[in-house]
Amino acid sequence: MLVYILKRLIAGVITVWFIATATFIAMHQVPGDPLMNDKAVSPEIRANLEEKYGLNKPVTEQYFIYIGNMLRGDFGISFTQQNRQVNDIIRDHFPVSATLGLLAVLFAAAGGILWGALTAIYRNRLPDIIIMFLVILGISVPSFVFAALGQLTLVNLNSLVGRSIIPVAGWGSIWHMLMPSLVLGLGTMALLTRLMRSSMLEVINEDYIRTARAKGLSTTRIFFKHQLRNAILPVVTVLGPQIAAITTGGFVVELVFAIPGLGRYFVQAVQQLDYTVIMGTTVFYGAFLVMMVILVDIVYGFIDPRVRLS
Amino acid sequence: MTDSTTNSLALYQPVSGDFAPAIREESVEQISRPSLSYWQDAWLRLKKNTRAIVSLVIILLLAVFTLIGPLVWRVDPALQDLNQVSQSPSLPKTATLTEPMSSWQGVRVKIDPGAPDAYPEDFSDRAGFRLADDDPTTQRVRLIWEPVEGVRGYNIYRNNRLPDGFNDLGLPLGSTFANEVSYEDRLSLEAREYYYAVVPTDGFDEYETFAQLKVTPTLTLTLEEALERDLISAADNLKPGDQVTLRFHPLGTDYLGRDMLARLMEGASVSLFIGIFAPLLFVLGGIIYGGIAGYIGGQLDVLLMRFADFVVALPFLLFMILFKIAFGIGPGESGILPMLIALILLGWPATARLVRGQVLQIREKGYIEAASLLGARNYYLIFRHIIPNTMGVILVTLTFSVPAAIFTEAFLSFIGMGVAPPTPSWGSMCNEGVKTMLSHPHELIFPAMFISVTVLAFNLLGDGLAEALDSKMRARE
Amino acid sequence: MQITETPILEVNNLAVEFATHGGTVQAVRGVSFHVAKGETLAIVGESGCGKSVTVQALMGLIPIPPGKITSGEARLDGQNILNLSPRQANQFRGVKIGMIFQDPMSSLNPTMTIGDQIGETLKVHLGKSQGEAFAMAIELLEKTHIPEAAKRARQYPFEFSGGMLQRAMIAQSLACNPSVLVADEPTTALDVTIQAQILELMQELQKSENMSIVLITHDLAVVARMADRVAVMYAGQIVEAGSVDDIFYRSSHPYTLGLKIAMPSNKHDRDKQLTPIPGSPPDLFMPPAGCGYFSRCPHAMSICRAHLPGVTDMSDSQFSRCWLQEAGAPDVPELHQRKNLPEQQVTATTGPLDAG
Repeated sequence: MLVYILKRLIAGVITVWFIATATFIAMHQVPGDPLMNDKAVSPEIRANLEEKYGLNKPVTEQYFIYIGNMLRGDFGISFTQQNRQVNDIIRDHFPVSATLGLLAVLFAAAGGILWGALTAIYRNRLPDIIIMFLVILGISVPSFVFAALGQLTLVNLNSLVGRSIIPVAGWGSIWHMLMPSLVLGLGTMALLTRLMRSSMLEVINEDYIRTARAKGLSTTRIFFKHQLRNAILPVVTVLGPQIAAITTGGFVVELVFAIPGLGRYFVQAVQQLDYTVIMGTTVFYGAFLVMMVILVDIVYGFIDPRVRLS
Repeated sequence: MTDSTTNSLALYQPVSGDFAPAIREESVEQISRPSLSYWQDAWLRLKKNTRAIVSLVIILLLAVFTLIGPLVWRVDPALQDLNQVSQSPSLPKTATLTEPMSSWQGVRVKIDPGAPDAYPEDFSDRAGFRLADDDPTTQRVRLIWEPVEGVRGYNIYRNNRLPDGFNDLGLPLGSTFANEVSYEDRLSLEAREYYYAVVPTDGFDEYETFAQLKVTPTLTLTLEEALERDLISAADNLKPGDQVTLRFHPLGTDYLGRDMLARLMEGASVSLFIGIFAPLLFVLGGIIYGGIAGYIGGQLDVLLMRFADFVVALPFLLFMILFKIAFGIGPGESGILPMLIALILLGWPATARLVRGQVLQIREKGYIEAASLLGARNYYLIFRHIIPNTMGVILVTLTFSVPAAIFTEAFLSFIGMGVAPPTPSWGSMCNEGVKTMLSHPHELIFPAMFISVTVLAFNLLGDGLAEALDSKMRARE
Repeated sequence: MQITETPILEVNNLAVEFATHGGTVQAVRGVSFHVAKGETLAIVGESGCGKSVTVQALMGLIPIPPGKITSGEARLDGQNILNLSPRQANQFRGVKIGMIFQDPMSSLNPTMTIGDQIGETLKVHLGKSQGEAFAMAIELLEKTHIPEAAKRARQYPFEFSGGMLQRAMIAQSLACNPSVLVADEPTTALDVTIQAQILELMQELQKSENMSIVLITHDLAVVARMADRVAVMYAGQIVEAGSVDDIFYRSSHPYTLGLKIAMPSNKHDRDKQLTPIPGSPPDLFMPPAGCGYFSRCPHAMSICRAHLPGVTDMSDSQFSRCWLQEAGAPDVPELHQRKNLPEQQVTATTGPLDAG
């Protein structure tokens, strides 16, 4: 297990390094340079700025400075928001995105397992048919449409009640978080429901469930102790990629709900070609996602004894 | 020993002749099912799956919509119809030609500011709130009302529906001083019902009373505008008061007055092009890559699969965004090509893994060994045996890759990283629509519906195909 | 055979159907048997003959629907056990009847330790605490001769070999001292050497715990080794039943003969050929009107086609379901036929005969 974790970590570091390098190359491929946006800079100012951002050095040297800074965890200064460190942007706004993402993952996992188990119990009966219809809808509707519909619902709800009971946009209280995290989690919830359902149906036909019944265990006990636990395992394996999907899905949800998260800053930076912010946040996001996938794999290892002990 | 009570079934008493040896017909193995090829069988199963067939029909209709639609609906998707901006879906409309706009002085009165306590208890009865002339048009609505002593100004509101009370008067249009008891509304008027309200103020705060007026402006157009927008020609010799037919927008227009139907058709060609071509190409790449890895095996296989695992581990959308930035989009480019390339570069590993696994499995099968013992060459084995036997899973992957690619395109276009305006795609149309979602939901709903229905159809078709092609299920029945 | 006491398990005229897409399958068609205390009854037959369905119906393990018990009764210690609610069934499952299955690899929960799985039965039925249950689980594992039982109890099924797992399964089924052990092909999935060990273990535990065993198998060698009495099943019916000697030395049904000829033996008999039974069992979607074995029987008569043979008592311990036992039927030399028996032997049904 320890060797396994170590292997995964090494592979993760290589991936992050690749992401950092690719980001660097991508940034240097951009036609025009980042200072072009500032209107008519005089040559002296331009030279100063180039000096400040190290743009006048050869590319290889810039690369090593960049990697060095990354290793020290220094992502530089934003181009468009003068005097604002990229580190500060990440520190200020990532917790918002992380809270939103965590809530969405919780919604998705809890909902997916619950609905999946329910549909398996009621298979081919009305609850199953209704939920599976919603699931296929959930898989087929993009997250930004959910976000827009969610916001529309809130607007109508508030106008129906006559006062703002749940805020339509912004961030701060738990009420702000409710709708965005729900719509962010919907797609993943639908996917997990589907997976959980087929997993439950597979487990229910396993020989060890028959053994459990022959042992005289109650239906409830079999359901919770034997069926559910084994059925959840495949669901956990897809959680890693799904966290990535939720994180990137967060970009649009933050945009629609005007949430001051890192995702929104990232999208803004991309649109404004804010060099350092893109590089910083891309590498940060990349490292975060790679870490999450490894983390989920390790957690899976602890849940499944076959992996843990091999 | 054990019970002999069960012979209730055997009530028959044998007669002589019963014990003669039985004459048996030659038992011929009956083949109850006609022999069908793999694909015939799969097609029969698919036909039984109503959802999959409905999806297939939807996909065909989408193809017709995309390819033949623009030939039937010959409207320039870039043309801006300024008379009908953010128009909801409707039947063709006519407008009345009017004189060129003249300026309006309004109504001014000389009035002394009264004592602060002389504020109107109930303004609504005394206001005489009315139209200045009899023909409110979409060019302008002119409102006048009776002055009220003691107030220092008025605020004018406009609502799209009957106000629910003092707090629900709608859009604040403007305010006037006490001596000005009229207001001209020229703010993007449409031919629909409006509820105007006028509220007296003490200069800063509003009194809690208002007068209200329902107005339905008629759709009008000045002669110059009509000429300028090619709705009439000078030769028609039309005069103010005549009717002109406006352009027909069955699905309405967007915030720039562009025809939604035409844009949806052009958007479909962009979205479906990316959604179908990218998967076709990366699945093809995956087949070649995975096929080589699986067929050759050994060290090369290990190496190739390591690399595939590595590409899989990359955060997909981040890299899509990076690609877009690196490629850059020059002026006049739509940004379709960079997205296609990025999708292909990042999309292949899943198929490659799958095909490799399949090839490894099939390579071990007895019939491959038999064929190669009979002297079959490699390329014969690959094309006659291995590829046909992997086609099923490949087809299913391909079907499921289409919605994924459409989603990616929509997502990137939505955050402004995809197709560059003015080229429409369903995703970028959603991006524009979401901004006016509250007032004109149709601008979001139509493209969102197209994305959802397309993705839904491909998902259901994929499910159906997976079921129809699953040999495990064939054996089970 | 003389029944000295009430049998521990008694099954009368059990019939089970399954509704499938293609129609109704009559998997079990009127099966009756009983098991006395401490004895081993083997139910033999080829796959699909309904032997597993019979015992699964008794245990309430048949999914209903599509399954359905259309007739019959079953008594365990005088108490009805058929068509019970799951709650009622759980009063005897795992308590009075223990069950082990064919494939021990897949019959144990892969994510639960062996000790916990054995202890679970004790916790649920005897109300033991986790600690007590686990300690008892270790004892049970020792009883089934699993070395280092305390360490093994903390391991998961995938860390066990097949033979060890079947031992653990046996330990689990014995947790509550059941009076009957149902073993559904317990050795089929195991190596031959392991098979012998498992059978030996079962015999040993049968003696020490004084329990009855219902052994489902298709292997006559296992039958010869384990069984006191044998029921031969074909096409959902018991076609012949008797003591193990009756079945092997006085076979009274052509199917039993066929099974014997198809069985390999370790005698030096070079001339003897293994002869498979030609053809395949009838389709139980539409069970034949006559004898199920008609199409494969080398001695088939015209009566066999349309008329189901009744039960003929061969002796106190043996019965057969074959028209060849009827008076007037032709002689079949290799078959034990009632009409060729001395009259007094047949009628001597009053004497205390022990079919052991």
